[in-house]
Parts: sequence; C-alpha cells; structure tokens
Amino acid sequence: MGTPTMEQAQVEDGQLVQETLDGNRMSFQLLVERYQDRLFSLARHYTRNPVDAEDIVQEAFMKAYRRLASFDGRSSFYTWIYRITVNTVLDVMKRRGRSPVQSVEDPELVGEARPVACVTPDAKLHTEEISEITHRVLEELPEIFRTALVLREFEEMSYQAIADMLGISIGTVESRLFRARAKFKQKLLSLYPEFGED
Amino acid sequence: MDDCKQQQTLIPSYLDGELSEAQAAPLRQHLLACQGCRNAAQGERSLKAWFQAEAAVTVPVGFAARIARRAFEGDTGELDAPLPANAPTPILRFVLTATAVAAGLLLVLSVALRSSELPSGDRLRADSDTLQPLDQVLRELDAANATAERATDRK
Repeated sequence: MGTPTMEQAQVEDGQLVQETLDGNRMSFQLLVERYQDRLFSLARHYTRNPVDAEDIVQEAFMKAYRRLASFDGRSSFYTWIYRITVNTVLDVMKRRGRSPVQSVEDPELVGEARPVACVTPDAKLHTEEISEITHRVLEELPEIFRTALVLREFEEMSYQAIADMLGISIGTVESRLFRARAKFKQKLLSLYPEFGED
Repeated sequence: MDDCKQQQTLIPSYLDGELSEAQAAPLRQHLLACQGCRNAAQGERSLKAWFQAEAAVTVPVGFAARIARRAFEGDTGELDAPLPANAPTPILRFVLTATAVAAGLLLVLSVALRSSELPSGDRLRADSDTLQPLDQVLRELDAANATAERATDRK
C-alpha cells in the first residue's frame, strides 16, 4: 500500500481527532502512537534525562487531548502538537528548576552576529561524544536560538514549517538561524577551544 | 565587499536548500568567483557536522495506551506540585518506601511469631532474658529512618 502522503496523513489525523472527540479512546491512542517517537526525539534535544523527556511528552499529549476541540485543521496535527510540546518543554524544565537560558536582553536585538571560522568535530570523536558536546553547547544558548537550531538541524524542518510552528515570519526564521549558528560556534569555541581552526 | 556581505547572508539558506533557483544561481556564480565567500560557505557547512542523526529513541512500552487511558479517565496529566530543590530523588523515595514497607512487614511478622510463642497457663511468667520483639523492631525502624534521613541530608 505504501507510505501515506502528507495529505492522506492529514486527513487521517483529522479523522482520528474527530473520533477522539466523539469518545473513541483507541483513536486517541493511535494518534499518540503515530507521533510519540518524534516527540520523544524532540524532548531529548532539551533534556538528556529520560525521566524528564517522558514527563514532557506525556504532559504534551495530555494538553493536546484537553485542547483537542480547538484543533481547527489549519495546520497539520503534527505542527500543532509539536508547538504544544515545545511550550511544554519550557514549562516542565522551569518547574524542575532547570530553566533554559533566557537571555537578559533580546538576542535578536543585540548587535550583528559575525560568522566565525570553520569549526569541525575531531575525526576521532564518536557520534555519542559529538552529540554530548552539541547538546552541552545548546544548553548554553538562549531558548529562541536553541529551538531554531533543533527544529532546523535535528528535525530538518523547512523554514516555512518552522515559521508556522513558532508563529513568526520566514524572514525572522532566517535571521534567527543566522544568529543562532554564529552564537553556537562562538559558544562551542569558548567551551571547547580545541575545535577552533588552526 | 558589500556584495560579499550580502551574499554571505544567503549562504545558510542556500545550504538549507531554501533558495529558489533564481536566488541560488547568482550566489553560486559568486561563490565560484570568491574565495572568501567559499570559505564562509565552508564554515557554515562545517556546523552541520555537529548536528548528527541520533540513535532511535526508546519509547516506554505501553506508553500510548497508558496516555489514552489516563486522558479518558479525566487525568489532567499535569505533573505533581513542583519538586523543591532538595526533594528526595525518585531512587531515594523508592528506598524510603521500601524501608518503611520492610519495617512494617517485620513488625507484623514478629507480632505473629510472638503470638504463636505466647505461653499459656503456668508458663506465663516474666522472663528477663526474653527480648521484646516489638522493641527490636522499633529499634530497627528508628535505625532505618535515621539512615534514610542521613541520605536525604547528603542530597
């Protein structure tokens, strides 16, 4: 039968949403099963603690259930619940006393970010080590930069999808990513100067 | 130089595949002609090596069924009251709970054993070298609580 197209998936999601609202528990379970992997993957970029990640995803789905009647289908269900999950991340991390870095000043208003020279992972590093370093650096970034990088680099979302997700313009996505990448490199070099170009 | 500055702002979008052909073509031409901008593009590209695909996540077994059940049971799903900074960790809470349960079971067992050993009739007499099991259990409980409290203080 093959993989359903995006349009088919959207129709199916809409149908499952309606059936859930009509009281069909299995339909909601199917929705959860469809997106749980991606939401766990998303949560993992904000916390390496599996307990926190599970709490985040659980709370996101429960919020989605409570707000299901407000889902109007203008965006895909995936975009909708993704947005809920990103907001839930901040809520959960704040309650656990592990707030993401909130910039004292609006990072987008700070002076122009200058691109930094090439920084590449050492060839001897394993994937897990690279991942640890990357997430360590991401933790140090203001949340708007971290989220932009997570959505683009890990989730491989298009600029349009990111714009829809965050409720911003594509131009803002572009400038935010530009600054986020420069900040990432700067922070990487300050934490790990050994990766700077000779 | 101003042209380079302008072109370099397009490099990330170009590398992300977000430029139309009409936008990408002039940039491509510029990159072919400009070493500096090629270096800048390489710098941007090198960043992607830090964002590697990770191993597949492991979703707890039965997660979806559990969520659906709780949602339909009216569980709001919100976490309990925020944990204070010095709250016991889940493992420590488990240890404390297990200790309390074990102490309770010991108490019940010792009472049961004691009941079965109770002398009757003329055998009923005070015996100074018979240790009260209940006292022993109570001392064990105190010791267990003190250990748990010390562990909490260390946290």
